[in-house]
Amino acid sequence: MSGAVQTALAPLGGPARRALRDPLVAGLVGLCLAAAAALLVAPPAPFLVNVLGQLAAFAILAVALDLVWGYLGILSLGHGLFFAIGGYVCAMHLLAHGAAVTGVLPDFVQFMGWKSLPAYWFGLDHAPYAFVLALAVAGLVAFVFGLASFRSRVNGVYFSIISQALVYVAMLLMYRNDTGLGGNNGMTGFPLLFGWPMGSPGVVTGLAVAALVTLAAVLTGTRLLVGSAIGRRMLACRDDETRLRTLGYSTTRLKLGIWCLSAMIAALAGILYVPQVGIINPRVLAPDLSIEIAVWVAIGGLGRLGGAVIGAVLVNGLKFWLSAAMPDAWPFILSGLVLLVVLVLPNGLLDLVSWRPRPTWLGGQR
Amino acid sequence: MADPGRRSPKVLLALSALLTFWCLAVCAVPASAAPLDRARFTADLCGDAAGQVRGAESLVQAGGDLAADDLAYAGRLLGALAERRLACPAEGAVLFDRPGAPEGRDALTGAVRPVAETRAPVLGLRQRAAVETARGTVALLTGPDPASRAAGLSVLERRIATVPAALLDRARDAETDASLKGTIAGLAQAAALSSPDPARRRAAIAAVAASPSGTAAARLEALKGDPAYASDPAFRAALDAGLAQVGRAVAVGNALAILYNGLSFASILFMAAAGLAIIFGLMGVINLAQGEFIMLGAYATYGVQEAFRRFAPAQLDLYLFAAIPVAFLAVALVGIAVEALILRHLYKRPLMSLLATWAVSLFLVNLVRVGVGTQNLQFTMPAYVSGGIPLYADFVITWNRLFAIGFAAATLALTLLILRRTPLGLDIRAVTQNRDMAACLGLPTRRIDRLAFGLGSGLAGLAGVALCPIYSVNPGMGSGFIVDSFMVVVLGGVGSLAGTLVAALGVGGANVLIEPISGAVAAKVIVLVGIILFLQRRPEGLFAVRRRR
Repeated sequence: MSGAVQTALAPLGGPARRALRDPLVAGLVGLCLAAAAALLVAPPAPFLVNVLGQLAAFAILAVALDLVWGYLGILSLGHGLFFAIGGYVCAMHLLAHGAAVTGVLPDFVQFMGWKSLPAYWFGLDHAPYAFVLALAVAGLVAFVFGLASFRSRVNGVYFSIISQALVYVAMLLMYRNDTGLGGNNGMTGFPLLFGWPMGSPGVVTGLAVAALVTLAAVLTGTRLLVGSAIGRRMLACRDDETRLRTLGYSTTRLKLGIWCLSAMIAALAGILYVPQVGIINPRVLAPDLSIEIAVWVAIGGLGRLGGAVIGAVLVNGLKFWLSAAMPDAWPFILSGLVLLVVLVLPNGLLDLVSWRPRPTWLGGQR
Repeated sequence: MADPGRRSPKVLLALSALLTFWCLAVCAVPASAAPLDRARFTADLCGDAAGQVRGAESLVQAGGDLAADDLAYAGRLLGALAERRLACPAEGAVLFDRPGAPEGRDALTGAVRPVAETRAPVLGLRQRAAVETARGTVALLTGPDPASRAAGLSVLERRIATVPAALLDRARDAETDASLKGTIAGLAQAAALSSPDPARRRAAIAAVAASPSGTAAARLEALKGDPAYASDPAFRAALDAGLAQVGRAVAVGNALAILYNGLSFASILFMAAAGLAIIFGLMGVINLAQGEFIMLGAYATYGVQEAFRRFAPAQLDLYLFAAIPVAFLAVALVGIAVEALILRHLYKRPLMSLLATWAVSLFLVNLVRVGVGTQNLQFTMPAYVSGGIPLYADFVITWNRLFAIGFAAATLALTLLILRRTPLGLDIRAVTQNRDMAACLGLPTRRIDRLAFGLGSGLAGLAGVALCPIYSVNPGMGSGFIVDSFMVVVLGGVGSLAGTLVAALGVGGANVLIEPISGAVAAKVIVLVGIILFLQRRPEGLFAVRRRR
């Protein structure tokens, strides 16, 4: 398949071909585009379309984390924060847009007894502004937090813990009802998307197609990035940061840049996710959920963009199926899956493709 | 002395001496020995409406001074009157055992005699209230058990303005039940505060201010609306001085309470974080299951309690102490199993060990959820962890928090002892400082890792024991501690018990100090931001252990 894709993409020029030389990524990009096209031509049941769209959003989130964890060695246990920033701004846009068109204020505003939307919601009914704002806020938060951490060389598990605390504090903050962001009930009841009624088959399909196309674009873009000189520097930084710094590269700037990019990709995933599920609430910010993102990446295959996508789709697909079919068993299956992967398949399920008889913990090479 | 005209000065002297003696004797005898004029009291009750009220009220007024047998007599008579078991024929009042009986006992002598006229005096509404108050007086002073005395007190409370101070003072002094004693004292104070006598009122204000509390402040504050506050300058001055005194004391008491709560919160944090710090310092492993180990410790405590309940119900109160070794060993074994089965393979990959411990925590939470249930466990609280002693103003030393603080101190001492004075501790410190060199010198580093992981997990189990009297115990309880205790470890510096202690005190104190000013959430945000800023200056934490990697 990859050969065919590369032949088809030959007129695109050098970088794109280089990016898609990774057969896994090329295959996944092709699959996404094919699925998007199939949805447009012959959409299946809206439920399935919706699930497909959500999986694509999760896959984008996993790619964002894999970019910093797999290629820079920075494990963030707080990526749920950036996902939530995108989701919250998107929800604000949907509510502001709905209020501007229908004239009915959102439920939580009425619940708090306010007469109008808070002042900082101004302008959010314009989609481009909301879109830019979501990415900008996520990037800014990531910049401040990343600058503080990377400058003082907070590394490894230290960074993981502090990022977890960050998302935890954000969760506590969002549980408050006086923030103007829905409090513990979150925001829901979005009436319209660009003027079309939410939940109509066309909107559901459109959202899923948008998520799939965005996933393909993100995969292509990140593959281009990690294949470039910057990507090689990222790997060098992951493997021996001190040596890279000694060679004269500013690792702080490198890490900060990729960290902010990753945060913005996560926010993008949040933007695509919220209109599909129709709700956002502070539970997105629970530390467990952020750890779960890392679990997707670890299960799929750390350090390979395709692996992150496979992990996110696999785990979430299983979750959609099992948490309905046998809700009590799902946590056991998930924890068993994690233990299996970290003990037996150190590079995730992708190890199954190139199975080695002696895993690392029995003396095999990583 | 028959002839008063011939009374000599000597006789006069003797007389006055006699008088003085009599006076002294009377004054020396306890006030309660004053007799009741039983005949007159009986006649009053048998008389018309005015007489009944007079009799009942006289008893209330004299209640503080009457002897016990007089009170019992009055109680019998009042009870009979209220229950229509009293008849008043001309030859003297008679009590029946039941209304309308053919014969009864003479009220004064107790002799049994037949009665022709059995019509009982009728009590009007106003008389009934007076009689009930009088009965309440008798019940308060002579009731056999706290419940009946409390019932009498609640009757008196309705007409507190008419109750003399001496009566309440006597009841308070004689009261043996501590809580009822407090109630009586409070009531006496309230009565004195609304007394018509200005001097007594001022004295009452001073008395209230002498034992300051939030309720005392509220009680005095309410007096500002009293007309006397505007008209009587002496009253006003007394009240203002009392309010200022109470306000100061309450502020000091609240400050003490905040410090105490901060200390107890810090103790819990320390116990949750101490095990983490040892494990992290030694192996570089972030144990995300530490919160669940705490939960397991609490469940082990519950198991011990249930075992006591079944096999040794008489010693049930001791279960918390019996749970200490059980929880430690059980959780240490779980920790050793986790290390041997999983973490052993992941020492070169700390981030993966983090995910693995997360999977363990997910597994444990759901195992307990499915196996035991999601409800909060019910613990019987022994006397030594329930209640507390009021120390100053509103500041109460609660035993359960003191238990946690003492427990944490003992844990700290024990852990220091193990780390500093035992061969295992020496090994742990050696491997923490330089793993390769320790291995070269022949230390079995893997075995030490396993034992240290067991020790760290066991400490989490101990934290679970200490939490039982304070927090609610359920499968999800562990997740509430994990973020805070990691903050403590990061702030304190890995592998340093002293750093963990100082950081726990700092984080616990900061949380409790900021909380009343800006709320719990803001406290957490400020503490986190503070920690991140602090790590800018010292990325290795407060007390970095010097080591080679």
